[in-house]
Amino acid sequence: MPKDHSEILQGTLDLMVLKTLDALGPLHGYGIARRIEQLSEDMVRLNEGTVYASLLRLGQKGWIRSEWGASENKRKAKFYSITKAGQKQLARETESWERISGVIGRVLRLDSQR
Amino acid sequence: MVHALLSRIIGSLRRERLDAECDQEVQEHLEMLAERFMAQGLEPAEAHYAALRQFGGVTQMKEELRERRALPPWDVLAQDVRHALRGLWNAKGFTASAAMTLALGIGASTAVFAVLDTVVLRPLPFADADRLMSFRNLDRRGSPHPTNLSYPNFFDYRAQNRVFEHLVCYRDSRFTLTDSLPPIQEPGEIVSWDLFPLLGVQPELGRGFLPEEEKAGAHVVVLSHQLWQSRFGADRGIVGRQIRINGKPFTVAGVAPRGFQFPEDAPPMQLWTTLAEDAAETEATPLTEQRGARVTDSIGRLRHGVTPAQAQTQMDQIGASLALLDPDNNKNVAKTLVMPELERLVGTSRRTLWILFGAVMLVLLIGCANVANLLLVRSTGRTREFALRTALGASRRALVRQLLAESLVLGSLGTIGGVLLSVLALRLVLPMAGDSIAIPRLAQASVDIRVLAFSIAAALATVLLFSLAPAAQVMRVDVAGALKEAAASIAPGRHRLRNSLVVGQITLGLVLLVGAELLIASFVYLARRDPGFRPDHLLTFGVGLSETRYDVAGQGAFSDRLRKLLRAIPGVKAVAAGLPLPLEGNEMTVSFDIEERRAPAPERPSSDMAIVTPDFFRTMGIPIRKGRDFTERDDARATRVLIVNQAFARTYFPGEDAIGKRVEPGGTNIGEKKTMMREIVGIVGDATQSALEAEATPIYYFPYKQLSWDIGTFVVRSAIPPEQIEQAARNALMSLDKEAPMFQVRTGEERAARAIAVPRFLTILMSGFAGIAVLLTVVGLYGVLSYTVTRRRREIGVRMALGADRGAVVALVLKDAMKTVAVGLALGVAGAAAVQRLLGSIAFGIRPGDPMFTALACGVMIVASLAAAYLPALRAALMDPTQTLRNE
Repeated sequence: MPKDHSEILQGTLDLMVLKTLDALGPLHGYGIARRIEQLSEDMVRLNEGTVYASLLRLGQKGWIRSEWGASENKRKAKFYSITKAGQKQLARETESWERISGVIGRVLRLDSQR
Repeated sequence: MVHALLSRIIGSLRRERLDAECDQEVQEHLEMLAERFMAQGLEPAEAHYAALRQFGGVTQMKEELRERRALPPWDVLAQDVRHALRGLWNAKGFTASAAMTLALGIGASTAVFAVLDTVVLRPLPFADADRLMSFRNLDRRGSPHPTNLSYPNFFDYRAQNRVFEHLVCYRDSRFTLTDSLPPIQEPGEIVSWDLFPLLGVQPELGRGFLPEEEKAGAHVVVLSHQLWQSRFGADRGIVGRQIRINGKPFTVAGVAPRGFQFPEDAPPMQLWTTLAEDAAETEATPLTEQRGARVTDSIGRLRHGVTPAQAQTQMDQIGASLALLDPDNNKNVAKTLVMPELERLVGTSRRTLWILFGAVMLVLLIGCANVANLLLVRSTGRTREFALRTALGASRRALVRQLLAESLVLGSLGTIGGVLLSVLALRLVLPMAGDSIAIPRLAQASVDIRVLAFSIAAALATVLLFSLAPAAQVMRVDVAGALKEAAASIAPGRHRLRNSLVVGQITLGLVLLVGAELLIASFVYLARRDPGFRPDHLLTFGVGLSETRYDVAGQGAFSDRLRKLLRAIPGVKAVAAGLPLPLEGNEMTVSFDIEERRAPAPERPSSDMAIVTPDFFRTMGIPIRKGRDFTERDDARATRVLIVNQAFARTYFPGEDAIGKRVEPGGTNIGEKKTMMREIVGIVGDATQSALEAEATPIYYFPYKQLSWDIGTFVVRSAIPPEQIEQAARNALMSLDKEAPMFQVRTGEERAARAIAVPRFLTILMSGFAGIAVLLTVVGLYGVLSYTVTRRRREIGVRMALGADRGAVVALVLKDAMKTVAVGLALGVAGAAAVQRLLGSIAFGIRPGDPMFTALACGVMIVASLAAAYLPALRAALMDPTQTLRNE
């Protein structure tokens, strides 16, 4: 079965969601989508529905938790926040991300010096 | 991992609430998005669509979340199974044929697995069974079979070794019980004292034996649960009481627990007594003091941490020292053999049963191919349905899951049917092996939890196998194409897949056919081989004579009187007695010294022997080729004489006349106080001693009055059917001794049948498997061809319109079929060669690699395939071309 694009980007999306929650505190799904859109300066165009799949995955791993609250315009909304385990995971992921992107960056630089 | 599973379980339990929450959450999200777009200046309706676009497929996303949130087997599967049941119910013909095919395959493999598990795989039912080792001697003269131990050697091995916790000797015997009438004779085991501690078995009542109960004069017995119930009315006060066995009072020490059986490769023992029985003083030296009398088997339990190899090393050292101590008796048996008891028990059946299991697995595979084919046909008809559902948003995963659900339901139906079939099959097939003990533990085979677990595992594996093909097909569904075309489109790969399934079936079927042919040929060879005697019109039976009331002379006199009475029965032509009879196996082997070529004891040849009365050869129908029969005058005062068979004369006196030659048979272990030179006075035909031996083996016969051992088995040749003699024979025995039981009453033909019961059993099973395999293959081929004909209807119509006659159309279809068959056969021939090699070890009278078998099997396959192809071919030929072409 051909993999959806979202499936390939799954890991990256999860990391972005986790980081967003870590940086901004409790947010609802809509807020997360807006934040990612804003930060990526429209470089990442996502089906916002996939955010919920990501939230479910993270919740099932115990990295985030959710509770019902009121949104800015007094709507009932589900707010997600990062857990201790989530923060640890984020630290791990961030470190390995930086390491890998560092390596890739160096390799690409090498290539362009030739 | 655990967290995810937990949350999924919670998800399953709170499904509805979570669904509602999700709906609400998505709804809010969409509204907020829409508001945002409106704020950017879009109309409300436009904003709504823009929000939907930005969000992505709402239904698909909800579906995915729902799936992800809960355990799939819970809610989704329940729904899938409901769908599957409905679908299967709507296609009853398909369901019935698929489920029946599966039931057949699973039933057969479950039954064979039950046998394999009971006989080969299951550990012995004793404590620390993996440390129980069989211990025997190896004869350095290269006999392939390990030999028994003599008592004195056993005592030395037992006393000197440091590797076994317990080392126990055991030997089969028979005992006469005369407490109440009628007297009965039952199999019993003579063992050393610690049998029960060795096996870790606690008697149900009373105790086992004590060390001092091995000494001559001790008479103690442990009864089997069954004997205790049938003969002693399950009397709990039996322990400590005295009962009469072999005319002597025995104290009952205990009663064995229900189901206890030792040894397991003998008829169920009804009592156990100590080797004091063999230490008792008789006219000959007691068995327990004869170093040359190899009569007892032995089993030990390794001490903790001792490996079988270490045990073997130490036992070999003891054996070497025993050989120095008494070279005459021990030089040939200095080597020992320590092997797991389970290995000894089932080593020979293991290969056979694995072969059977392999065969039945092939049948199951062939069945799988058929079901896969059926499923392919079915899913071809459903291409449009699947395409439609995909277009409506069903994920491919969901479609595959539904197919799997259908297969699972089919598999379950097949498993239930199969297990029922296997219970039936076991009940039907097991008695065919007779009460033969050649396959130990066979009779205990039944469908239990382990076997059930196997059939479920087999069913799951099958389901996976046969649903692979249809699932692969769903993955490739071309949505647009399938929906566009009015007629179901045919994916190009599909037909090739179906054809290769049939090719596989033909290949496997051929392999099974060749296997069955080999076994049938081998069985026919065994059954039709001249046994060297005439089994028709022959009645045989044993007589249990009390050793206390009859001394050796008394037993001889009793035998004389009984034979005289039997001879007087109307319809009786001849009467004799012998021990052992032909087909009873190579029971008694004794070495001998040839007068012309004397040799030191360890270098002497040895051969089977038997003790017979006069008229034995005439009664059995064994021809006397040369010289004379024994007469009543060949007694203890006369010249010692022997009769040998032709194989003996050929082997030991090649190119000479054996009559008049003199040999001196073995030591005191055949009941003589001293050995004597004996003259060969007759040569008789070769009667088969062991039915499963490739060639006649040498045997020499002693006249009963010159070698007292046992009263032997009586044989009666009659002019009328032997069954009609039995009652008169019983009466004759009763008139002589009311306490002497008659046992193992069998006709000669029953004996002949028993001797080949196991090959017969194998042959019947294998033929059954091959039959099923061919049938399934034919059905599979028929299905594929029918489908092909339907598919090519248009082409055939065009051909006919252009002038092809019916014969040409039939030929066209048959040619198509034969192409598939040819590929299958070509592949199968290689497999057939492998099967011939594999079966060579259990098949008799067959030239290895005989191409005749493969050729015959190919012939059978071709004929069967032609039959399968003929109907579709005919249907094609009978098509009305105008009709077909108009329909297109």
